[in-house]
Amino acid sequence: MTLLDIQGLSVTIPSPAGPVQAVRRIDLNIAKGEIHGLIGESGCGKTMTGMALLGLAPAGAQVAARVFQFDGIDLAKSADALRGRRIALISQDPAAALNPVLTIGRQMDDVLRTHTLQPKADRTAAAVALLAATGLPDAAKLLKRYPHQLSGGMQQRVVIAQALATGADFLIADEPTTALDVTVGAQVLALLRQLVADRGLTVLMITHDMDVVAAVCDRATVLYAGLSVETGPASAILTRPRHPYTAALLAALPDAAPHGQRLAAIDGQVPASTKPISGCAFSPRCPAAMTLCHTVPPPARVRGDHRWACHVAEDAP
Amino acid sequence: MTAPLLDVHDLVVRYKARGLFAAPSKPAVDRVSLSLPAGSTLGIVGESGSGKSSLLRAVLRLVPVESGSITLDGQDWLAIHGPALRHARHSIGFVAQNPFLSLSPRLTIAQILAEPLLARGDKPGAAMQDRMALLLSRCGLPPDFLARRARELSGGQAQRVSIARALALNPRLLVLDEPTSALDVSVQAQILNLLMDLKADFGLSMLFVTHNLKVVAHLADQLMVMRGGSVVESGATARVMSAPQQVYTRELMGFGRRA
Ligand SMILES: Nc1ncnc2c1ncn2[C@@H]1O[C@H](COP(=O)(O)OP(=O)(O)OP(=O)(O)O)[C@@H](O)[C@H]1O
Ligand SMILES: Nc1ncnc2c1ncn2[C@@H]1O[C@H](COP(=O)(O)OP(=O)(O)OP(=O)(O)O)[C@@H](O)[C@H]1O
Ligand code: SF4
Ligand SMILES: [Mg+2]
Ligand SMILES: [Mg+2]
Repeated sequence: MTLLDIQGLSVTIPSPAGPVQAVRRIDLNIAKGEIHGLIGESGCGKTMTGMALLGLAPAGAQVAARVFQFDGIDLAKSADALRGRRIALISQDPAAALNPVLTIGRQMDDVLRTHTLQPKADRTAAAVALLAATGLPDAAKLLKRYPHQLSGGMQQRVVIAQALATGADFLIADEPTTALDVTVGAQVLALLRQLVADRGLTVLMITHDMDVVAAVCDRATVLYAGLSVETGPASAILTRPRHPYTAALLAALPDAAPHGQRLAAIDGQVPASTKPISGCAFSPRCPAAMTLCHTVPPPARVRGDHRWACHVAEDAP
Repeated sequence: MTAPLLDVHDLVVRYKARGLFAAPSKPAVDRVSLSLPAGSTLGIVGESGSGKSSLLRAVLRLVPVESGSITLDGQDWLAIHGPALRHARHSIGFVAQNPFLSLSPRLTIAQILAEPLLARGDKPGAAMQDRMALLLSRCGLPPDFLARRARELSGGQAQRVSIARALALNPRLLVLDEPTSALDVSVQAQILNLLMDLKADFGLSMLFVTHNLKVVAHLADQLMVMRGGSVVESGATARVMSAPQQVYTRELMGFGRRA
């Protein structure tokens, strides 16, 4: 069942250098219970897409979409109402998401008080249960601690417990492990996966790390210059990418070439977000580009549950 | 066998504990030994706080060493002090993680590259201009970048300038602390290619610190895994990658990630 259905989302932000096309045209379709990766390099519009879903686009920004629905509800009208009730954010920096001068117990209780009608004693029990559910040891003792007394990994677990306390069933995780150590990050990913299985959550996993996609995502969408260029099962995206940009991104990974051999770097740069795009956005850098790629926007191609936008017709199945 | 370029033996680095009566702190680097042959690259990986940067800082002589020895190019590196040290430091180039923090945004690239050359006593003029243009071209940037300001560069371009600056005085050893961690995958590939070229063309030796085992494994001849200030595993890259002895190394490699 589709939980999130977005077609043709754009976010335009006014700036002194002219309007910034932070998101140009993004389609995103996420089924209930799925962990969906949103992949792409810096500046391609991952965070801004998440902010638009939360109703938190910058002041003055224009958010438009042909379809913009969460569980049948129009996000254009209701994003503010859904935020902190059904949709919650887990950001890269857990320390910034927590209030440094309040105890963990107080911060958990603040969330529970606004979302339940339980008496204090029940709320405390609920806070302990939620903290324990995120794998934090000694959850009861933790209530009296301050954020700075916890490691980064523990802080991120508290942020996840807070998101659960709101009752949200859709989590937007924006690079949730980037600030953590590799091994601690892997534990947080395993936790998210377990919560999805146990509680029927749905997660939009924003990341630039293909290892994260491989570890936890069911499906993924690849962004380039504010456009969704490819979407499909995570395993297919990682092992049999259809779009030349996705293929180039994977080929640039250090383990894609034998030890000491040159890596396949992508020449050139991402187009400026203040300039209009002619034809295919990737055409100035694409090794497969043809003349028409520079002037004609690429058509959508579909094979089963895998979609991409490219002038080159794919060959074998 | 030729003597190694860099030889570190039982090195201990300990930061001062805060407060008058505080117990002595745990060493940040705890009896670390390593040997780097000339022209070779040693990759150092480990979790946050494992002592990677502290080890580099000791080699760069930016923090005091409590005990142990460092031999650089056959010389007792810890016995050099004062003006002699300032001069001797020219034999090591340093590249930091965030190019935008390590380059003053308002300076031109020419000013940034001239700094170490002027400090060594070179005279401004055509020869210096040529030298700077050569440094840039080695790092894959055209000479017209000399007139640009650091704030006008992309992340990959800024990191190329940092590497060009580190190479200005023809160091024999390049020390890199997380040089690609702030960069995108496609830009990271450009920088790793550049480092491999420099190694092949000039026989540069490198100490390369990162928390990403896959990044460093690609160009390092030897790998060293640190934890809690100590070396938990080290050896030829192929050996460590194909048969990691420690659970921790396997976790770093991402084995533990495939749920
Ligand atoms: N507040 C803002 N005002 C103007 N432009 C912005 C603003 N925030 C982001 N942008 C621009 O919008 C585009 C998309 O940015 P976004 O933060 O969504 O990228 P991202 O994919 O999350 O990148 P990263 O991996 O670096 O986090 C970029 O060109 C960025 O410069
Ligand atoms: N200037 C300092 N004063 C006191 N203690 C320090 C200082 N710098 C580092 N430490 C401590 O020394 C230990 C090793 O730190 P170091 O920065 O060398 O680790 P690292 O491996 O480089 O970590 P990271 O991956 O986070 O950069 C840590 O316990 C750290 O808290
Ligand atoms: S449309 Fe053309 S330029 Fe764009 S990705 Fe396909 S082949 Fe490359
Ligand atoms: Mg972002
Ligand atoms: Mg460090």
